[in-house]
Amino acid sequence: MRALPRSVHPGAWWLWALGLAAAASRTANPVLLVMILAVAGFVVTQRRDHAPWALAFRMYLVLGAVIVAMRVVFRIVFGGGQGDTVLFTLPEIPLPHWVAGVRLLGPVAAEQLLGGLYDGLRLATMVACVGAANALANPKRMLKALPGALHEIGTSVVVALSVAPQLVESVQRVRRARLLRGGTVRRGLRGTDALRGIVIPVLEDAMNRSLALAAAMASHGYGHTGRTAPRTRALTGALVITGLLGVCGGLYGVMGASTPGYLGTPLLLAGLALAGCGFVLGGRRVTRTTYRPDPWRGAEWLVTVAGLASAGLMYLASRTDATSLYPSLAPLAWPEVALLPAVAALVGVVPAWLAPGPPRQAVRP
Amino acid sequence: MTSPATARRRLPVLPIGARPAVVLTLASVAGLAMFFWPLFVAPTPEATAHTADAPLVFVLTMPVLLAVVLAEISSGGIDAKALAMLGVLSAINAGLRPLGAGTAGIETVFFLLVLAGRVFGPGFGFVLGCTSLFASALLTAGVGPWLPFQMIASGWVGLGAGLLPKRPTGRAEIAMLTAYGILVAYGFGFLMNMWFWPFTTGTDTQLSFVAGAPVLDNLHRFAVFTLVTSTWGWDTGRAVTNAVALVTLGPAVLAVLRRAARRAAFGAPVTITPAPPGAPREVPRALTTPPRGRP
Repeated sequence: MRALPRSVHPGAWWLWALGLAAAASRTANPVLLVMILAVAGFVVTQRRDHAPWALAFRMYLVLGAVIVAMRVVFRIVFGGGQGDTVLFTLPEIPLPHWVAGVRLLGPVAAEQLLGGLYDGLRLATMVACVGAANALANPKRMLKALPGALHEIGTSVVVALSVAPQLVESVQRVRRARLLRGGTVRRGLRGTDALRGIVIPVLEDAMNRSLALAAAMASHGYGHTGRTAPRTRALTGALVITGLLGVCGGLYGVMGASTPGYLGTPLLLAGLALAGCGFVLGGRRVTRTTYRPDPWRGAEWLVTVAGLASAGLMYLASRTDATSLYPSLAPLAWPEVALLPAVAALVGVVPAWLAPGPPRQAVRP
Repeated sequence: MTSPATARRRLPVLPIGARPAVVLTLASVAGLAMFFWPLFVAPTPEATAHTADAPLVFVLTMPVLLAVVLAEISSGGIDAKALAMLGVLSAINAGLRPLGAGTAGIETVFFLLVLAGRVFGPGFGFVLGCTSLFASALLTAGVGPWLPFQMIASGWVGLGAGLLPKRPTGRAEIAMLTAYGILVAYGFGFLMNMWFWPFTTGTDTQLSFVAGAPVLDNLHRFAVFTLVTSTWGWDTGRAVTNAVALVTLGPAVLAVLRRAARRAAFGAPVTITPAPPGAPREVPRALTTPPRGRP
């Protein structure tokens, strides 16, 4: 049976991608990382639609390549020559003492290069997973799913997204008006004059537009939020402030040396949970209805579970058989792949077949 | 006609009350700690084993912090005029950002942010900094783990612009804003470089941070790293763009923003009074009858 084409909830794609990224963060094995990359890329090509953001994946791949190159180049230039298997030796350039006694170039070892490559590839894979989420999830539908406490901020971002294209039209109108009045739009010595002649009218236009929009929103009853009881407000404040104090303490514990273990990550998580409760409680103030809400059905569960299964299996593998996840650098060895990590890397590909395809472009008669 | 002096005495658009101020301060302290962790992290065996995980914990913490702060600032309710202004200015900022992205170091996003923070106050400046970068990331599909960190850093830029002394006017004001613009151009670059530092160099080059080394030692290493990678190119380009834009366009843009603030009359109380009982209800008939086909 084939699912009817429809767009999957953007939250599901984000959870799937974060699961893949978490799986990638657990390993430095290039074979596994390339498998995860291939999974993300295949799902993107199978399930993206024709929106402009769907082309973003390529940009993230380029960014990943830049990360890998940066890591390797940094190892060559600033590596300081660790490792035994020296591949080649570059002329050394000692720098003066005030630059931290850094020595440039020098001998380049295979361990060093491979370490940079593996590390960079791991980061690049995680970035590519984020890119896959960007390409698959519809940002406008994502904004709709923002929690109630961020309703106003989300609305202003929606306004921003819908006003942005109108600005282009505004710029063109102002330029045309300038030309009709015999002004110039060319650059050069008088460029700043021309710039001012365009920027100020466009800005003034945008300000007028915002006032008109505010009047329209007010006349549609925007901003008529319900009142909250003083006790709820006080409870929200207490939860948020206690939670943030916990976060500050937890961060100190994570970084400090002499702090006991329970003051670290557990305190940080407890603080985050408390602040999150306050956040949800504060969001009750806003009661609203959603126009055509995105459903969360079987396909969304499937996509989410595929991503999270990838992360979970990889975590299991790191607990049982950590050596196959980190290929040995000393002595140098070919990376080997065990069965469990391979399954973990590949399970994320399921949505490429089982998730519903993107809706076709509406054909106008 | 209102003189500039009275215009400046106006209430800020998104006033930050006592509780949001406490929340913002706590979150800023935690946020700074998450930027500067390589300088302070301890060399315990447990911490070094998790050095690769530490940034991931922070990447998960930062969005929650930012959401809590933004919810707290908007908990009093943002009125329609402020919200529309926020949306339109974010759109302009988001539209200005790709203009410079291709050219080395020309970054145009801060110039309007500084001016708007100055006119509309610190709370508005903070939220505008966050929404501008968020809208820009959505437009260019650039959402990623770095986004919350960029958002809070540019929120601080807008917040600081709103907190500058109110007294200076005219040329002194433009000079002050230009100096601030140059400062934040380098400051923003410094912060974001600090965030990227562990990711760019990994942990075992001569420019990487050394967990547990003295703060000054690590700072020295970082200074070399940031000089090598970006200070001369990107950050200086951003500072020059800020300064030029603030000097040439600043006075006119300030006038436009102040005029808009005056016309919008932020802070004027809006009261909704129920109609007197005898008055006819002006509700269209179509809205009072239930739609067909539903129980």
